[in-house]
Amino acid sequence: MLSRPWWRIGWRNLGRNRRRTLITAAGLAFGYLAVVVLIGLMDGLTAEMIESGTGVLSGQLQVHDIEYRPERKIYDTIGGRDGADVERLVREVAADPVVEAAAPRVFAGGLVSSGESTVAGILMGVDPQLEAGVSRLMDSIVRGRSPADGTNEILIGTEMARQLDVDVGFDELVLIAPAADGSMGYDLYTVSGVYQSGMAELDASYAVMPIASLQILVALDPGRIHEIAASVTDPWLAPEAADRLTAELSPLDLDIEVAPWTELRPEMLDYAQLADGWRFVVIFIVFAIAIFGVANTMLMATYERRREIAVMLALGTTPFSIVRSVLSEALALGILSLAFGAAITFPVMFWFHNAPPDLSWIYGDYTIFGALIRPRLRVEYHFAMALWTGVALLITALLASLYPAARAARVPPADTLSGL
Amino acid sequence: MTRAITLVRLALRNLRRQARRSAITAAAMIVGGALMIFSLSIGDGGHEQWIESGARMGSGHIAIQAPNFHKSRKIDDRLSSSARGAAESALRRPEVAEHTLAAVPQLAVVGLASSPTGARPAQIIGVDPIAEAEFSILDDKVIEGRYLQPDDRLAAYVGAGLLEGLDLRLGSRFVLTAQDADGEIAGQLVRVVGVYRTGVPEVDEAVIHIPLATAGSWLRSGDDVTTIAVLLDQSSRVRPVSRILERELSAEREAGNLTVLGWREAMPVLDAAVRIDDLGNYVWQGIMFGIIALGIVNTVLMSVMYRKREFGLLQALGFTPRQTGGLIVTEGVILTFVSGLIGIALGLFLTWYFFRDGLDFSFAWDEEWSFSGIAMDPVFVPLFRVTRVIQSLVFLFLIGTFASLYPAYRATRIDVAEAMKFER
Repeated sequence: MLSRPWWRIGWRNLGRNRRRTLITAAGLAFGYLAVVVLIGLMDGLTAEMIESGTGVLSGQLQVHDIEYRPERKIYDTIGGRDGADVERLVREVAADPVVEAAAPRVFAGGLVSSGESTVAGILMGVDPQLEAGVSRLMDSIVRGRSPADGTNEILIGTEMARQLDVDVGFDELVLIAPAADGSMGYDLYTVSGVYQSGMAELDASYAVMPIASLQILVALDPGRIHEIAASVTDPWLAPEAADRLTAELSPLDLDIEVAPWTELRPEMLDYAQLADGWRFVVIFIVFAIAIFGVANTMLMATYERRREIAVMLALGTTPFSIVRSVLSEALALGILSLAFGAAITFPVMFWFHNAPPDLSWIYGDYTIFGALIRPRLRVEYHFAMALWTGVALLITALLASLYPAARAARVPPADTLSGL
Repeated sequence: MTRAITLVRLALRNLRRQARRSAITAAAMIVGGALMIFSLSIGDGGHEQWIESGARMGSGHIAIQAPNFHKSRKIDDRLSSSARGAAESALRRPEVAEHTLAAVPQLAVVGLASSPTGARPAQIIGVDPIAEAEFSILDDKVIEGRYLQPDDRLAAYVGAGLLEGLDLRLGSRFVLTAQDADGEIAGQLVRVVGVYRTGVPEVDEAVIHIPLATAGSWLRSGDDVTTIAVLLDQSSRVRPVSRILERELSAEREAGNLTVLGWREAMPVLDAAVRIDDLGNYVWQGIMFGIIALGIVNTVLMSVMYRKREFGLLQALGFTPRQTGGLIVTEGVILTFVSGLIGIALGLFLTWYFFRDGLDFSFAWDEEWSFSGIAMDPVFVPLFRVTRVIQSLVFLFLIGTFASLYPAYRATRIDVAEAMKFER
């Protein structure tokens, strides 16, 4: 369609009023920047939500007894009442190519008392070494250290520590928990450390201790655990890894389920999908606004040239060729804007991706679906969307020039050339 | 004055002379203005819902508590009876009462709920069943059984998440354990009379309502409460009403007996969510109007370039460069202001006409969406506020002025002799 002379005419026409061309291109380029950065921010928020929602505690993948969810009964351990070969299971889960680390866990509800005050808490038994690879809990210790294996040491959140008025080294923390055999378990613990995840509910209620110590407290045999949590290299690979693990672990005959976060937290998946759909709405609205600027410019440009167009028509140029020249001009404008837009967009994306500006000095943390979101402008790269946005920009430029092109093609040569 | 009128008339004529160009620029402005008022009113309406939902699930728009209670959550930090009396008489004042939908007493403690299957931490709230039914939304979210009733004794109204977690069903008994007013650990047997589901995991898995009298005898706190939760008719009343309450209760506040806590302090996470959402909305408007402003710059600039001769002539006849610039700015401002006004009016009308009952997003998500401790209602009912309309008009006015400044500057620099030299 764009044979050479029309292409060159279009390009040269852009140069006739450079200032106008630049302002119009700036509008389109700014639109491109806005769309790509906004989509990047939306993706960044989704990624942050998934990372925080799965990374702080739950992991991206969990193995349970098939009965365990949603009631989470204390006696629904993996492998039923007989338990399982925990070490082997953890090793097999960790052996999956996309799994980074896997760790066993035991959960129980109980009261934590310092003598003066008592709070209710969720007791979580972990393998301190393995756990560090799965959740961020062990990395968020602000004082002290993680509990050591084989001891009655406990790691509590800052909020729980404040409510109990205890700190690292306090060695008379009483834990009382209903046990799996129906009795009440109680024991004395030493606070080895205090963590701060930033999530108030977590910091107030989760107390972490070595897995063996909790198993003794709630009368579970060493082979009985509730959960194996695993972290995955990319959250979006978790569903396939879960399917693969289900197949791999089926010979063990344990009645277990392997659930990725998309199944544990379906609302997060919904949100991610809605955010995906929203991208095209963003593109549409921004370019729907930008189209007026381009239409106006092209209308002015063709109106200015109506004498020249009349001469071309009088000399035998077909109206279609006029349309073609206007469209080539618009396309050239679009390409120019795109180049300009890409030139300003990529540095911003690079900056926001590698060093996201932190807004925590004006805005506090907030939560989505219980996942803590820090107020920062984090973007994720999305090259396909950057490409689609470019296509949308070019289409906008072409659509905007359809009406000016049609008007140009209908310039009456005789009248235009006779009158001024 | 006459000069100003002449300037406006000149500007209007100039706009009319290029009717098509003015119309296209105006169209961008109208669409932008309408979108702006649409998204602001839907956004404000959404926020109002979030705040009300948060208030009705927790401690109201305003909570009157002992100063330490918000941090400690301990029964030791409950309201003394004198402080409670003062607070209740302050709430009866007509200027407070006219905006108050409900003010309810609550005794909130953190404890352990345990059944034969397991134990979970719970937020146990002792409530006055009749008043609370007015105040809370939990009673509307009942899925099984019923809400508490005045003659209930050992009754508990429990979230679906906690019910599942403890493997209870309607009628099951379970034990609540918490520290009582004397510092001892006390247990209380209760029976599930009703189950609710709000869709917010933080609530469904933790909040239990029991009758205030039961809580009082269990925790040895008598008739004392930890919180008086106040629900207002509109979140924008929080600040003035808090101020009145703080003034009325200044004696008790200075004595360290109570504090008046707005929802922003009581629910900082929700506050952050609302403000971040507003920020997102502003950024979005900024981007759209940035693009629109560039279009306006272009239109006004072109109209200056086309009219070099005309301006040259005007200046030769005694128009000062300043007046020439003023004319350009007037044109830009009139164009943006009039089209912005039309856009805002159109936006208000369309939003009211199509979405006054709410913009329904339920095709995109179900009701289980929650964030920052509240369930997100998929139906957004717009909220129209005069301040928003004024803000938008001022914003459009500024856009119009700024977009015309550069073209106006160019117009002041026209060389009169040069401009009139050639016949174009």
